[in-house]
Amino acid sequence: MSVIKKLSQMFSEPDTQDKKAGETASEVQDPSSSQSPFAEPPPVGRRVIQASVIVGQAEEMNQSDDILIKAEPSRDNGQCKFMVNRPLFEGHSWMFSNFEEAAGSPLAESVFSVASVETLLIHDSTAVVTKTGAKGLSDWEALAKKVGGVLRKTLEAGTDMVSKDIIAQIPTEEVVRDEIQKVIDTEVNPGVAGHGGKITLTAVTGNTVTIEMGGGCQGCSAADLTLKQGIHSAFRKAVPYVGAIYDETDHAGGLNPYYR
Amino acid sequence: MPKLNRFNIEIETRETGTDLPVHFTINNHKLPLEDAQGGVGPGETFSGGFEIGSFAHSLTLVGPESGQWDIRKIKVDYDCEHTPPYSVVFGEVTLDETTEVNIWQDPPLPTWDV
Repeated sequence: MSVIKKLSQMFSEPDTQDKKAGETASEVQDPSSSQSPFAEPPPVGRRVIQASVIVGQAEEMNQSDDILIKAEPSRDNGQCKFMVNRPLFEGHSWMFSNFEEAAGSPLAESVFSVASVETLLIHDSTAVVTKTGAKGLSDWEALAKKVGGVLRKTLEAGTDMVSKDIIAQIPTEEVVRDEIQKVIDTEVNPGVAGHGGKITLTAVTGNTVTIEMGGGCQGCSAADLTLKQGIHSAFRKAVPYVGAIYDETDHAGGLNPYYR
Repeated sequence: MPKLNRFNIEIETRETGTDLPVHFTINNHKLPLEDAQGGVGPGETFSGGFEIGSFAHSLTLVGPESGQWDIRKIKVDYDCEHTPPYSVVFGEVTLDETTEVNIWQDPPLPTWDV
């Protein structure tokens, strides 16, 4: 099934909302606006900008000679991030979707040796793990300790973290950028256009890509679903060597989200 | 998202300052900061706060009505319900009559050494 069809089916006619596909802000007009052509225009709203957040904890970790690993489950407990004060895969990232893909990469092999680990994403000095089964905060405590233990053991061994085959297949940033842009233009954007959405590639660093969701996708309550089941799948299928995929959308600033 | 009881803010201004009062918005309602101390002139530090007692769907610091305001650093201390107090430091930003800067951050995620 094409990604366009998949994306369209994911968001087939909503049951609880009467908003139709393709509806945009310009099409939803206040009836009073057409009745009072001489009314003053509404005040222009200010644009909300984001300032960078200064993080102090990372500096403390970097100053230590010991191998320090911190575990941080996500807010929905769906995944756990491990922040290490050593590089795991410097300048690049890689997604190990299952145990078979870990073969030849000591770091991934050790993490997948821990029961319940489902996927592993490594990027620079972080590892992100998802697990099978229950996903409460307490469910991560024991598992995170085990994953931290095998990460430390592999780092202490000093071997290459990632297989040479993987390193060899990562192309230049230009190739990654061109291929991801092609997927966005031919598959992803046609899929989300029906909801007034638009995906923009904002950065490529190594094989790590960052996107921004605009239009009906910005602030949409289904944006996470679109990202993980639509965009991630499309990118990984078409560009197998893509690593981490980040969404830097300011969803709070969405003016016309498709699903509120 | 926890209920925000109160927040305190400290703003360090760079070379280009602005005039008091300093305004913020909570869920798009514009209000002046209370308990104001210090200034927002060049090189000055301003501090203030506000008893919110509500859920912060958005919390922003509003730019000046005219001209620019170069900010070096914004430190915000949050006092939220059922959450230990936490602070966030935002870096350099320039505001003007068309902009406001987000100063809301969710409480930090639980983190532990493994």
